[in-house]
Amino acid sequence: MIVSPPFLYALLLMACPLLAIFLFSFWTQDFMTLDTSFTLDNYREIVEKPIYGALLQRSLYVSSCVTFVTVMLAFPVAYFVSFHVRPDRKSLWLFLITIPFWTSYLIRVFLWKVILGYNGVINTGLINVGLIDEPLTFILYNVNAVIITLAHAFAPFAILPIFVALEKIDRSLLEASQDLGESKFMTFLRVTLPLSMPGVVGAVLIVFIPTIGDYVTPELMGGAGGKLVANMIQTQFLALNNAPLGAALAIVAMLCVTVISVIFVLINRRWLKGRS
Amino acid sequence: MTALITLTGVNKYYADYHALRDINLTINEGEFFSLLGPSGCGKTTLLRTIAGFEMPSDGVVMIGGKDMAGVPANLRPTNMVFQSYAIFPHLTVAENVAFGLRKSKEIDKQTKAKMVAEALAMVGLDGYGKRAAHALSGGQRQRVALARALILKPKVLLLDEPLSALDKKMREQMQVELIRLQRQVGITFILVTHDQEEALVMSDRIAVMFEGEIGQLADPETLYRRPNSRRVAQFIGKMNMLDATVEVVDEVIDLTVRGLGSMQIEREQAPEGGQVGSAVVGIRPETLGILFEGETTERKLVDGVVDEVVYYGDMTYYDVRIEGVEQPLNIAMKNLIGRPVLEVGAKTQVIWDERSLVLLP
Repeated sequence: MIVSPPFLYALLLMACPLLAIFLFSFWTQDFMTLDTSFTLDNYREIVEKPIYGALLQRSLYVSSCVTFVTVMLAFPVAYFVSFHVRPDRKSLWLFLITIPFWTSYLIRVFLWKVILGYNGVINTGLINVGLIDEPLTFILYNVNAVIITLAHAFAPFAILPIFVALEKIDRSLLEASQDLGESKFMTFLRVTLPLSMPGVVGAVLIVFIPTIGDYVTPELMGGAGGKLVANMIQTQFLALNNAPLGAALAIVAMLCVTVISVIFVLINRRWLKGRS
Repeated sequence: MTALITLTGVNKYYADYHALRDINLTINEGEFFSLLGPSGCGKTTLLRTIAGFEMPSDGVVMIGGKDMAGVPANLRPTNMVFQSYAIFPHLTVAENVAFGLRKSKEIDKQTKAKMVAEALAMVGLDGYGKRAAHALSGGQRQRVALARALILKPKVLLLDEPLSALDKKMREQMQVELIRLQRQVGITFILVTHDQEEALVMSDRIAVMFEGEIGQLADPETLYRRPNSRRVAQFIGKMNMLDATVEVVDEVIDLTVRGLGSMQIEREQAPEGGQVGSAVVGIRPETLGILFEGETTERKLVDGVVDEVVYYGDMTYYDVRIEGVEQPLNIAMKNLIGRPVLEVGAKTQVIWDERSLVLLP
């Protein structure tokens, strides 16, 4: 057993809170007091009441969409910076990509509200141009708005790992592919893309895992139909004062993320194994 | 012999840097051709121009009678072995070798597998097909790179310093194997190297390049025995340089060499002709000798003093000072039976012969 300072603070900051949540999930809330006798009632309720399953499903759907959109948008940016920006300008570009982070997450979410709202930039713009007569309503207070906002928020996180993977590709491999008769496009498919997969896998995990737990964006952008499992956890903990049920929901959500991530990584083993 | 590659007036500029200066060159079918020169002389740029990775700023590159202007690398009948070998790390050895076969749709899968096995056997890697590419040694990577290029039966195989990353033993072994492979497949090989010994051992003809231009283009023996300039003479092997004055250029050349005196040499000992006036003569260390006690010679002698001794086992290199010459003469002597290794300061006689001189402008 190595008892070193990093081990201690890792234990205090990560294992202890997790363990507390885990314990809570087997207790019950009895109005103001906590009943600490072991029970599986919380989990039973989650399985039996359809609302929780539906919320979890929607969360997974939104996270998957956000991940897909983010990675699809991040890849070209990472590719451009890695392959088409002069080497001495690359760090400047990466620095510029982080600019959205200079403002608060909350402000960025509200900005999207301004853009997507009933009287927002898009709607007034389209009405003024004459393309539509009535403001579009499918772009705010629903799942689409949540996906757009989250994808924007997580884009830099996805760009960086893909950029690093692309940077590591030996450029002579691309010349070798062309020398062996492949066009630039086929070279991308046969060499660049497979060799960038470790970065893509990293980006997927980095985006997918935290978006499951995000409750600010769905709260502000999701409307009634855009609430996710994290909002329910928040409600259980704070509004309904039912920490045990909230804890059980958190554990279930965590399990789902773990299972999906592991499956995803296993599928990608094929791509990852060739590199070391 | 038929010409396969013709370069006419090829120039390459990078901004204000003149990388290739008016290159005119013909490379024949089935030839082992080397581009030799110090780093930065433009030899790799020239190779990449033939491969299609660089386009000439002006001039014409013809391969197999076709103008290659605007033809990208993937459509040229050339294949390359890269300095880093550029083995695809995400593929197995067999997948690497088969990489370029994807476009040959008319060949079925089994034939392809057979071709891959044959190509691997040709480079001595039987049974390595299923190995992961990243688990190979340097020498094995190079063989995979060779197999991957040769399986496509190119008209020209381009080799960019392929041996520079290998250790000495491995390098010598690969030199022999490359020569054998070239004779076996009969494809034109163009080798880029900065190692003069490698170029001499392997090539049919060598182009020596300096600062973007070709200094001399000749077969290895001519290049070694009759270099056409001081820089070629000094780049290939060791060469003693002596100041000389040319007096008459006629059927033969009359000249006076400082330290050695007046003499006559043949016209072919002056590759660039000869001009009356001051010049330089070159003498290779192994064409000079030291007269050891008990040995006799019919060749000419000059008195000298040993200035430096470097013992190599099979050979001893002496620096010997002779009168009237500032730079001592470098002399290579075989350590035959009965020959002592002389000490610094020993008085000796240097054997020389005007037939081994080369007159340089």
